[in-house]
Amino acid sequence: MSGAEQPVIEVRGLWRSYGRRRKVEAVRNVSFEVRRGEIFGLIGPDGAGKTSIIQILAGVLSADRGFASVDGINVLANPESVKSRVGYMPQGLGVNLYENLSAAENIEFFHELREQPTEAYERNRAELLRMTRLGPFLARRARDLSGGMRQKLALICTLIHLPDVILLDEPTTGVDPISRQDFWQIIRRLVQERKVTVLLSTSYMDEAERCHEVALIHAGAIVEHGDPEDLKGRASGQFAGITAVPQSGALERLQAREEVLSAEAFGEEIRIRFEGKLEEIESGLQGHGIEVRRVERREPGLEDLFLQRLFPGKQPRPMFHLAALQPLERQVTIESDGATRRFDGFVAVDSVDLQVQKGEIFGLLGPNGAGKTTLIKMMCGLLEPSAGAIRVAGFDVKSEKQQVWPRIGYMSQHFSLYRDLTVSQNLRLFVSLYGVRETNFRGMIRSLGLEGFESRLAGDLPTGLRQRLSLLCAVLHGPPVLFLDEPTSGVDPVARRTFWDLIYSLTRESAVTVLVSTHYMDEADHCDRLGLMNQGRLIAVDTPVALKRTSENRSGKLLAIHTAEFRTAFDLLRPVFSGAFLYGDRIHFRSFDPRSDTGQALSLLGRVGITDARISQPSLSMDEAFIDFIQAAERVHD
Amino acid sequence: MTSRVLAIVRKETREILRDRVYLGLAIVVPLVVTLLLGLGFVLDVKNLPVAFYDQDRSALSREYMYSFTNSEYFHLVGFVHDPAELERMIQSGRVRAVVVIPPDFSRKLQGGKPVAVQILVDGSFAGRAQVVCGYVSAIDAQFNAQFLSAYLAGKGMVRASTIPVSTEGRVWYNPSLETKNSIVPGLLVINLMFYPGLLAALVVVREKERGTIFNLYCSPVRRWEVIAGKAVPYIGVAFVDYFLIFLVSLTVFQVRFVGNFLVLTLAALLYITCCIGLGLVISVFCRTQVAAMLVTFIGMMTPSMLFSGMVTPIASMDRSSQMISHVIPASYFMGMARGVYMKGLGFFYYLPDFLALLAFAAVVYLVALAGFRKKAG
Repeated sequence: MSGAEQPVIEVRGLWRSYGRRRKVEAVRNVSFEVRRGEIFGLIGPDGAGKTSIIQILAGVLSADRGFASVDGINVLANPESVKSRVGYMPQGLGVNLYENLSAAENIEFFHELREQPTEAYERNRAELLRMTRLGPFLARRARDLSGGMRQKLALICTLIHLPDVILLDEPTTGVDPISRQDFWQIIRRLVQERKVTVLLSTSYMDEAERCHEVALIHAGAIVEHGDPEDLKGRASGQFAGITAVPQSGALERLQAREEVLSAEAFGEEIRIRFEGKLEEIESGLQGHGIEVRRVERREPGLEDLFLQRLFPGKQPRPMFHLAALQPLERQVTIESDGATRRFDGFVAVDSVDLQVQKGEIFGLLGPNGAGKTTLIKMMCGLLEPSAGAIRVAGFDVKSEKQQVWPRIGYMSQHFSLYRDLTVSQNLRLFVSLYGVRETNFRGMIRSLGLEGFESRLAGDLPTGLRQRLSLLCAVLHGPPVLFLDEPTSGVDPVARRTFWDLIYSLTRESAVTVLVSTHYMDEADHCDRLGLMNQGRLIAVDTPVALKRTSENRSGKLLAIHTAEFRTAFDLLRPVFSGAFLYGDRIHFRSFDPRSDTGQALSLLGRVGITDARISQPSLSMDEAFIDFIQAAERVHD
Repeated sequence: MTSRVLAIVRKETREILRDRVYLGLAIVVPLVVTLLLGLGFVLDVKNLPVAFYDQDRSALSREYMYSFTNSEYFHLVGFVHDPAELERMIQSGRVRAVVVIPPDFSRKLQGGKPVAVQILVDGSFAGRAQVVCGYVSAIDAQFNAQFLSAYLAGKGMVRASTIPVSTEGRVWYNPSLETKNSIVPGLLVINLMFYPGLLAALVVVREKERGTIFNLYCSPVRRWEVIAGKAVPYIGVAFVDYFLIFLVSLTVFQVRFVGNFLVLTLAALLYITCCIGLGLVISVFCRTQVAAMLVTFIGMMTPSMLFSGMVTPIASMDRSSQMISHVIPASYFMGMARGVYMKGLGFFYYLPDFLALLAFAAVVYLVALAGFRKKAG
């Protein structure tokens, strides 16, 4: 790509605000450029301004100030003339589809709306259907397609007129890992074959690495901007993972040390950012009678950089001390024995066997529609199992609901507090609903960082604080078992980490059992054990580390090839290593024998003159492990 | 028409046909409502239950009672024998009126003295009570005239049974004075306004709620193409409704239809176009389906019901109500529909009304077009 080439997307000093008297500033002085054939990622939490930027570029939203152009056309001055060149996919699983039309009719409508020549349309349609493997489902109505298929159909509809510029708003949020992989391959191919330009937004940090360039966005402004590899290097300090017993004591010690800039629990590991010498930190721990089992240096992630940029100082760790926890003697607090739930015609949860121990953080990981919410609702006694039995805190959820309910706390996926009550009114309401006698409001509010917000309406709180308030309301009555249904979706990374800190202190200090569901793969590491859910089935249960190890044993270790000529290299290597795929600028594939495969790949590349190739062994991401488990489960099933 | 308009028309038609709720609301509900209201919207007051408290028990008092029960307006429920029973009967609603004949009824009349008969009327429904009073005084006047002429003849002053002035009523267009002849064409007007209008009011706003509106926003489709593509299928649906309701009016209700079907159809088409346009205006400006529905109820249904002349003739309204009735399309079509049905008046007679509807259509579509912006927020 020559530097002289005119950028396809150009944004300079863009501002956009909403609301009465334009108080809410959604986009603040944003500038960036995207060159032809590039995948550019806007990365940030919900409400960061990603959608507004994309809509302005699609010509469907006006801006207050600034300049934005697509393909040399000033979008702000001539929004209509850009529309034939752009494909825009709005946020949400297939929200641009017409539910009552079949897949074929949906595609046809998008084609007709664009008045595109028939021949090119036919060719492109066949091509897109082949890539998405949606051909067999053409006659099915959009509303009967699964989430992943909907998203792929939506993508076909967006791409049917062969746009040169593709704007995708959170295309992968809540999509199952396999469809997500398909999705990225389609995007990759379009970029490679037609040199389309892609601008996409995502709230998953781990997807950033699939982009050529990313911009981290927070509160409407770009915080950092550049090549994802470069960006990670910009995180200051050193990073390490420490496994020590007892963990809570170690965490406390680490946080007290000056050279430790941040310390957080991820399952049994504590991740720290520090300055100075790691050995000193380690011996410091040992000096306090803490047994250090393992210390490893870690590479910083994008999220680390993001957190550093937003909050340079040390964050006070929120603590959660439950006043009066109900005693619970049992060691196994949640038991599911063949729990099944059928809704007319389909099985939402399919014979799930599961045991969760006291004080454990158990994560249910899976895409939208995998059955996580249904399973949690059954465990809470809100839905009756069609078959099988579930016992929570020793009581059957079907026949002994009255005993179960006082012993559990439940936080639903949606914000379920009263938006038009203030923080303290909400708390008082929940206290009287549960008949809690002893309450130390002030202490709780302070420990959750809600101080100063007591008289604010719950609806006006930022999402992170709302989440904490919901959590507080769910645990006011001191339940020994806590169910959290996607508590962190839509919450920014900072608030997410704080939230996990709270969950951690609940489980480690009050021995509360926490069952939490999420579709963020990168959150999986926070859990002690994970259950991978797909299409209603629990396909694997283990610790995050063991799950990755199992996947490596079954399908091989992950190898990454770095080279400037990754496109040529990919075409060359794909026939040899069948599972190879492009991941950002790298080629990923699995290998049982990394040493010989590395040699083979390098010699193949060397023969065509690619000499800059470097092969690394990155750790397997939970996303890749999950895909591997799904594929293995499907093989067993077929 | 461009192919893009056709694409939208095709898509909308498919959506209407596939969605059972929509199809029901589009076709079944208007028909059912027409049937229900046509059967139930009866303004005639007939067969009123009546009782008599006859304290006289004479031949003359019986004759007086016969003059009531012989008419089709009253229906004899029974006799009461004391004031307490009388009160009970009116309270329980078993009778709507009680005629109290005093003990000296025949004695006084025969003695040439005036006598007062008390009529107790249940006034809980004012309209009906008024009608009852009217009937009573008419029947009483007739009895008086007969009694008087017989009395005078008895005195040899005039020849028997001669009444000086009598009226002979002949009602044109609706000889049997049946309300269905005016109500059912009225229902045609109201139903065509409401149900197709409601569907049209939801058509854009539904896409806004679901997010599919962005397909239109970010495609090169022009604004008029969207409005046209959305209006045409719904005009079609409303046209089907028109034919069905028209058929029902002739078959089920046997409404007199003496006019020209083509003139009525042309007027209906123009009227329907206005209604759909009005629905689109609502749809373009509202953000949620609930809001669109509320606005349709308040802005389209209620004025059409009250000010179109459906129940109260426009001429009997006060000035402000008449002004409202001039700006709603239903009152123009109401006059045309009733006129064509019952009077058989032709096209040229209604030219001003056609022009008024045409002007109305032009205004609503321009407003819808101006209100539809290809922008979010």
